[in-house]
Amino acid sequence: MAAIALKDVSVQIPIYDIGSASLRKAILRKTVGGRFAQSGSHVLVDALQNISFEAHDGDRIALVGNNGSGKSTLLRLLSDVYPPTTGTVRVEGSVSPMFDATLGMSMDATGIENIWICGSIWGLSPAQIKNSLDDIGEFTELGHYLNVPVRTYSTGMMLRLAFAIATVRDPEILLLDEIVGVGDASFFEKAFNRLQGIIRRSQILFLASHADGILRKVCNKAIWLEHGRLVQYGEFEDVIAAYRSVNTLQPPA
Amino acid sequence: MTGPDTRSHFVVAIDRDLLAAFRAWPLWVMLGWNDVRQRYRRSTLGPFWITLSMAIFISLLGVIYSKLFNIEIRTYLPYLTVGYIIWGFISQTTNESSNAFQDGERIIRQIRLPYSIFVLRVVWRNFIVFLHTIVIFVPVALIFDVKFGFVSLLALPGFALIYVNQLWVTLVLAIVCTRYRDLQQIVTTTVQILMFVTPIMWPITALGESTFVADINPLYHMIDLVRAPMLGQAPSHLSWMVAIGFACIGWTIAILLLCRATRRLIFWL
Repeated sequence: MAAIALKDVSVQIPIYDIGSASLRKAILRKTVGGRFAQSGSHVLVDALQNISFEAHDGDRIALVGNNGSGKSTLLRLLSDVYPPTTGTVRVEGSVSPMFDATLGMSMDATGIENIWICGSIWGLSPAQIKNSLDDIGEFTELGHYLNVPVRTYSTGMMLRLAFAIATVRDPEILLLDEIVGVGDASFFEKAFNRLQGIIRRSQILFLASHADGILRKVCNKAIWLEHGRLVQYGEFEDVIAAYRSVNTLQPPA
Repeated sequence: MTGPDTRSHFVVAIDRDLLAAFRAWPLWVMLGWNDVRQRYRRSTLGPFWITLSMAIFISLLGVIYSKLFNIEIRTYLPYLTVGYIIWGFISQTTNESSNAFQDGERIIRQIRLPYSIFVLRVVWRNFIVFLHTIVIFVPVALIFDVKFGFVSLLALPGFALIYVNQLWVTLVLAIVCTRYRDLQQIVTTTVQILMFVTPIMWPITALGESTFVADINPLYHMIDLVRAPMLGQAPSHLSWMVAIGFACIGWTIAILLLCRATRRLIFWL
């Protein structure tokens, strides 16, 4: 049983410029009596404002909205990377984020070593990693390349490996930010199948993307964000229709 | 993950961050190992490069300074070796503390892990390097016939105290250096100065009447907790008390700082 409930959640992100990240300036501000307070103090950005919604088992939720609308912030809030400034976030179930599949890759380590390193970062147990070795080897088609340093790989090979490791998990709540192309077109098909595998194993999915085609294949619900506010939450086709009636410009899927 | 945590920030910082980080030891043990391997991957000697350069430094300095201070080399060189190797651990770890969170930024921005993991990783990887350098003491002890005894075993709890103290120093510096980026230069400079004001390269006897200069320096006591036993003497009671007191005060500050930082750190990165 996984469940998520957000109530009146806002996230403010302070942006520290070079000035406010400096101790010297901070001391100056204190001693000079706030004369520099305006120029030096940080700026607050309202990344999410008064968001409330609930999600339950079986929900496959698409996050749509223009760039900067708060999709990534919402994903980071759900993964507990960002704390809510106000409001309450209730999350039941283990959360597995996958925003950047190549996380933790060590260029000078071999493929096998990277499976262990990245696998541990993704939260896999040693037993899980061990059991997944064959599966990863088969999926990536890297063969003996798994025993040489990753820096000798092509970009496609590296992405395949990273993707294979990141998709071993059995998440209760899966958070995906934009499905990137993994290697060539023929491989994309295979990667997408694997991705659908991990999505099927998850109980709740959040997927932020601009590609309606992919969202339609995977999602049954959608959240439409605009300027950090929740515009609409409901059945996938309803929300997408409303969203597309305002934002007709659709990037290629 | 569970619902909203109604406990105080204090308990949350200790339980969900500090203790959780210790419980996640396989992760930072692996990250630390990987850091060391990564750094020396393409060299034949690996981390023993540090051992080699440290050995050369110690032997040259040992010969010259023993003349300078007019001490027999058989007394001075073992003293310098132990002191300088421990100092190597303390100084290197302290310098790397500033970047503990910046180094883990990509992970921190994506997965919610206890922040302290990145602190434990920095100290652990420097401990691995320390184990590579401590071997220098073996030939030194054999050549100069250092008198070991049961008292030498005190070096182990002594080093444990250094480690415990280093952990809070790294935690504090990691937090404040993430918030204030210009602090890193101050840390580097301070570490350099500390090497010269602490009896590492010079014997405490060189101070003459003014031994208080060493006595008020916690670093002297810390280093002596390991150095004295390794040279066959028991460290003073004062040294134990200073090191334990330093740990208590330091950890209090570190935990209070961690409480304040856990909800903001992500925005400082």
